[in-house]
Amino acid sequence: MTTSNLEEREISFMVIPFGPQHPASGHFHAKVKCNGEEVLDLVAYPGYLHRGLEKLMEYRTHVQNAMLAERICILDPFSNDLAYVNVTEMAAGIEAPPRAKFIRSIMAELGRILSHVTWIGVISSALGLESGTRISWGDREKIIRIQEMVTGGRIYPCYYVPGGVRRDLSQEHIDEIYKVLDYIEKALKLYDDLVFYNTTFMARMENVGTLSKEDAIALGATGPNLRASGVATDVRIDEPYDAYPYVNVEVVTKEKGDSYARALCRRGEIIASISIIRQLLEKIPAGEFRVKWPMTKKLPAGETYFCCEAARGELCFHMVSDGSDKPYRVKIRGPSFSHTLSIFPHLVRGAQLADVPAIYWSLDPCPADMDR
Amino acid sequence: MTLRFPYESLPAVKGYRGRHILDLEKCTGCPVCSMVCPNQAIELVEYNGKKYPQIHLGKCCFCALCAEYCPRDALHMTQEAIITIMDTKEAVYTPERLSQAPPDSMADETRQPPR
Repeated sequence: MTTSNLEEREISFMVIPFGPQHPASGHFHAKVKCNGEEVLDLVAYPGYLHRGLEKLMEYRTHVQNAMLAERICILDPFSNDLAYVNVTEMAAGIEAPPRAKFIRSIMAELGRILSHVTWIGVISSALGLESGTRISWGDREKIIRIQEMVTGGRIYPCYYVPGGVRRDLSQEHIDEIYKVLDYIEKALKLYDDLVFYNTTFMARMENVGTLSKEDAIALGATGPNLRASGVATDVRIDEPYDAYPYVNVEVVTKEKGDSYARALCRRGEIIASISIIRQLLEKIPAGEFRVKWPMTKKLPAGETYFCCEAARGELCFHMVSDGSDKPYRVKIRGPSFSHTLSIFPHLVRGAQLADVPAIYWSLDPCPADMDR
Repeated sequence: MTLRFPYESLPAVKGYRGRHILDLEKCTGCPVCSMVCPNQAIELVEYNGKKYPQIHLGKCCFCALCAEYCPRDALHMTQEAIITIMDTKEAVYTPERLSQAPPDSMADETRQPPR
């Protein structure tokens, strides 16, 4: 006979899948062990998007791999290609011309704005605010139209190659980029009212999933997740690459480390990226945009490592070459690997079950660059 | 912001990487496009006494390396993006089909939207 005294009743738990068939989860599976509404533990099961990219890269030459590298995480289309192309040029000892470096940085910052606007839509959908999704993904179309005009592809740009970029940036493209930047600045006021300073959004995100400074460094956080906990680190300032030595990059940090601080960090990064693109467009030099790089160019034997600042964190490539025209081994470090597998289970223990989607999407994971 | 597709569509952008178009006069059958393709989607077949490329659009990633490296400027990318097939065998575009020009626009102005 069961007693009604709470202390004498034994604690039982149930295991709920936060699975791929869930309106707020994405390509990811996790088993949540909870006692009523309180989460006791979480086990993550990655691997839904494993395509074997690291092995596929061993059978293609470097120019062909540049067409494959952007498929690591397509929500942030230019960073993956930028890291691969830079590591190849470092290994060969060849530098891209200055105009190509400026064009690469301009398109990479546009890709960062695109990724953050996509994130606004996705977190609104996860919390149930569908209007945020529809409006922000309609604005995302304007940036994708610029990508279509400049590179020829809407989602898969195939634009960077070792040695430069494939097509030039004309004055017509630059005028369109200025128009889109003005549009995004006006649209940010709407997102403020609808999403960022919405009382329900703030109530669901404040004091939820607080990551302290020591934990963030110990568990491997990078990108906006680390900067929202008070650590001012950015690869664009610590080890600048491409055209970043010529501009002033503003680093946005917050002190509290909860989900709302991470959301405000991303909002600040959109504003900082708009200012970086305007500075780059004023200073862009004339000249050639591509250096000759033969199709089967052999790289000297050795190891090279390069790190870039993607929209989600640090994306790094470690390439081992054995002297032939194909890489011997490529290791890709995606930023979402440590966010989803170490930080997410740590933050969720002790939270309520309804906070799980809010914490998951405030870390902005991309299962594609976790699984590769 | 909303368009009623297929009755209206976005204007196409010059330089978009849609499916390929082949100029049968200029092509000499050198295998550069086949060697450059990252997914091995191009095969050289015999047609009208010469060798021409045959492209499997299911394997193609539309990166346009073949059009860029063609030494005779015989292969270009059009703006046709809507390709529907019912069987995987229809995805293999023979040289004859590759040389046909695509339709002018993606929208179908002959149909009327339902009232």
